[in-house]
Amino acid sequence: MRHPCQLLKIIAALVSLSLLPLWAQAAGSIDGDIEQQAVNPTAIVMFLIFVVLTLLITWRAARTTTSSASFYNAGGNITGLQNGAAIAGDFMSAASFLGITGLMFVAGFDALILSLGAFGAWPVLMFLFAKRVRNLGSYTFVDVVSQRLAKDQIRLVAALGTIAVVILYLIAQMVGAGKLIQLLFGLPYEYAVAIVSALVLAYVAFGGMLATTWVQIIKAALLLGGVTFMAILIMAQAGFSFSTLLDMAVERHPQGEAILSPGVVFKDPIQIATIQVSMLFGTLGLPHILMRLFTVPDMRQAKLSAFYATLFMGYFYIVLLVIGFGSIALLYGNPEFFDADGNIIGGINMVAIHIASAVGGDVLTGFMSAVSFATILAVVAGLTVSGAAAISHDLYAEVLKQGKPDAKAELRITRIAVFVIGLVAVLLGIAFENENVAFIAVMPMVMAASVTFPILFLSLYWRGLTTRGAIIGALVGFIASIVLIVLGPQVWVSILGHAEPLFPYNYPALFTMPLAFFVIMGVSIADRSARGKVDRQSYHDLLIRSELGPNA
Amino acid sequence: MSDSKLEQVQAKTRRRLLFTAIHLVLYFSFTLNWTTWGKALTGPVGNGPLSGSILMFVILVVTFIALEVLFLAVDKAITKKALEQN
Repeated sequence: MRHPCQLLKIIAALVSLSLLPLWAQAAGSIDGDIEQQAVNPTAIVMFLIFVVLTLLITWRAARTTTSSASFYNAGGNITGLQNGAAIAGDFMSAASFLGITGLMFVAGFDALILSLGAFGAWPVLMFLFAKRVRNLGSYTFVDVVSQRLAKDQIRLVAALGTIAVVILYLIAQMVGAGKLIQLLFGLPYEYAVAIVSALVLAYVAFGGMLATTWVQIIKAALLLGGVTFMAILIMAQAGFSFSTLLDMAVERHPQGEAILSPGVVFKDPIQIATIQVSMLFGTLGLPHILMRLFTVPDMRQAKLSAFYATLFMGYFYIVLLVIGFGSIALLYGNPEFFDADGNIIGGINMVAIHIASAVGGDVLTGFMSAVSFATILAVVAGLTVSGAAAISHDLYAEVLKQGKPDAKAELRITRIAVFVIGLVAVLLGIAFENENVAFIAVMPMVMAASVTFPILFLSLYWRGLTTRGAIIGALVGFIASIVLIVLGPQVWVSILGHAEPLFPYNYPALFTMPLAFFVIMGVSIADRSARGKVDRQSYHDLLIRSELGPNA
Repeated sequence: MSDSKLEQVQAKTRRRLLFTAIHLVLYFSFTLNWTTWGKALTGPVGNGPLSGSILMFVILVVTFIALEVLFLAVDKAITKKALEQN
């Protein structure tokens, strides 16, 4: 008789293969250097404390989450400071902390392009979107774009775009979570995926956005506190001199002084620009980030949310600079962290944990491992709320019930949607365990930059936008993103086994986003339909409401 | 809608786009580090090991935050002035 986990794997694999025939040809494994570590009791105890605390918050939040409205936006009573912290908690993923530190360990300065890319979107969120999106929407960004365009069509397209982004982002997060927890805690992959999903279901299904917000705030506080403490301990080793730290890093890294300048791993400026465009405009189109703007009571708090998020993340990425160069200075040449072949133990994702161990011993290692786990929970919880809102609010309440749903039925559907998303996340997480998910992590950012961002930006800033232009442009952006990612190095070479990619870059948003803009604008200008006329005429009214509030 | 309201909103729109344009120019200027034109940026600053590229990263992060502070201050001042005029 087969083990239940094996059966689950087979079912999940069949589902995924039937959905995506391309995957049948997938050859590569996710990562050759993932190694299961010994069980870390300190990390597990600290993580359990985090879980108990957040479940208590969920229990309290569940008492106030009695309607769909409170589920989607936490009652709209979160302050700007709290929401800024929650946005930071939602966005500062394990990839930021572990991935950027690991890449700095290998490549030094080159890794900073990822830090700047991840940070660059937040000021633009404040300048362009925070106030206007908050004034025009209720629960999701789809509310905003449907204000002046044909509601049903644009809601359908934008909501499906949201679900696609959320599912792809979830797959990358779940596979990353499984591998990371295997790495940090010594737990089997399937258990790790199931634990993440079960906890997120508990937070989101019962506590909705309120519980999710507090999970994200606590995670942000723990992460910022943890990296600050690590940075202080690292600087102490260098006599609190950043120059001394850089000198130590240059002396120990095999590439020497080259790590202080660009060119160790990235050489092509176009490649750098593709990363910058994808990360900045992709972040601005992420539905779970935009949704956070509706949790505050007014437009002033929405602006403050973006400001505090920028402050927290700016601080985080500058502190990562110290941790990254500190890891080079303190780990290279220390045999405790390298195996017999001279490779870093556990792969480069473990660098941040090793440096915690080097400067803070078992307690700091356990703490940072627990924080990394909490990081995943916070991100997955935010995605789940966003996906559930797209299904229950955008599709069920607004399209199917034409904005007049039964309140109890809507809340029931919201909770069912949460469970379905949780189940899908587990199934796909297990199905993709041994697949190369690097391109799945790229897809949501490229799609958000090429589909969500152009529609949202033009609906707020261009009078000429029409429903026809938005829908056709969104479809072109969507298809172009998938095609160029498939033709690029991560799929065409790494998965399909061809010698050379047909398209040279991993992040095609530099090309797909302008294409989407061009098509949206071209089709809108050529649109002579009656609906197009209405779309254009409603712009000035929307513009006034977006700046001066719904009662202007 | 009144013309003054529309003018006020259009001025705000221009300001939003101006701040965004400044931000994007600064943000994409980081790419210069990987080009021959930006070679001067990659050398050491002063006698220490700190490179111009690393310093540029820190300056950009701080400048982006300063731009937001400026944006909020300008917005507050103009909103206050508009309220006084009304």
